[in-house]
Amino acid sequence: MSEAEIIDKLREGSEKAFRELVDQYQQLVVNTCFGLLHNTEDAEDVAQDVFIEVFRSVDKFRADAKISTWLYRIAVNRSLNFIRDNKRRKWFQSFDDLVEAKKKSLGELVSGNTENPEFDLENSQRSLLLHEAIDALPENQRVAFTLNKYEDLAYKEIAEVMKLSVSSVESLIHRAKKNLQKKLYYCYKKKCI
Amino acid sequence: MKCKKVHKKLIFYLEGDLPEKEAGEVAAHLAQCVDCTAFANDMKRTLGVLQIEKSPEVNPYFYTRLKARMENRETAPKQIIGYPVWKKVLQPALFSVLLLAGVYTGFKIGGMANAEQSAQAYAETELVPFLNEMESEPIETFLME
Ligand SMILES: [Zn+2]
Repeated sequence: MSEAEIIDKLREGSEKAFRELVDQYQQLVVNTCFGLLHNTEDAEDVAQDVFIEVFRSVDKFRADAKISTWLYRIAVNRSLNFIRDNKRRKWFQSFDDLVEAKKKSLGELVSGNTENPEFDLENSQRSLLLHEAIDALPENQRVAFTLNKYEDLAYKEIAEVMKLSVSSVESLIHRAKKNLQKKLYYCYKKKCI
Repeated sequence: MKCKKVHKKLIFYLEGDLPEKEAGEVAAHLAQCVDCTAFANDMKRTLGVLQIEKSPEVNPYFYTRLKARMENRETAPKQIIGYPVWKKVLQPALFSVLLLAGVYTGFKIGGMANAEQSAQAYAETELVPFLNEMESEPIETFLME
């Protein structure tokens, strides 16, 4: 099925078209969510919400747009909402809980990658550090950087997803890298790994 | 090029974003500066994690779970995957049967002889807290989980 066919059939409520959409774009959506959420389970949950939204709002889809652009946009918005909700919840959590959660996510990173020998303890620590640095970025920078790094999107595609000019995206990614570098240098100096 | 300037350009150097001339200058500095090289290696390894962790494996149950969620979205809460239903139902049921049997034999033994009254009292105090716990958390909550 072509993109246009998938959309047409989706509008008729075809399950086959929906299945094809999910098969084709599952990884794209999960990956995008993962880039922002850094957790496979959360990423899959949010990705499912994305597909449910797509199924229910296919009428709003503009025929001249690409499906992927649309999916990226919904995936980004849903992930950011998820982070905002989570922050609100964390506000009520005690510090000890947060420390426990951190330890747990480190453990999951190590144990969840047993089939990947590259993912040893050191890489897990680096991964946590990187996630923290990415999470500390202003939202726009974070989104642009994540789409560029986790999805290898070109600046032009990111510009379409974010509804910005290409030069704005360029500047966002430039600033994101500068900020990451600052964090990583600080950590390097303090020998945090 | 000074160390400080190199630090500011390092990430762009590693990402291949620098124009050729500047990249050459950074490379020349790195070739003779141990400290900057150490930082460059450290950053390279941290950024390298991105490549390792991107494209997580595709979950083969994704579509099935998605369909299930769409079908009973309004009626049922999210299911905990990987925990067999029989365990949830049978385990608490089995525990409560064992507990009640324990209480029953406890009273039986205690009632058999007056001399064993102290033992009975002991058994009772031991068991009561457990009973109370069961009361405060009725079996239905286990079943509904
Ligand atoms: Zn130097």
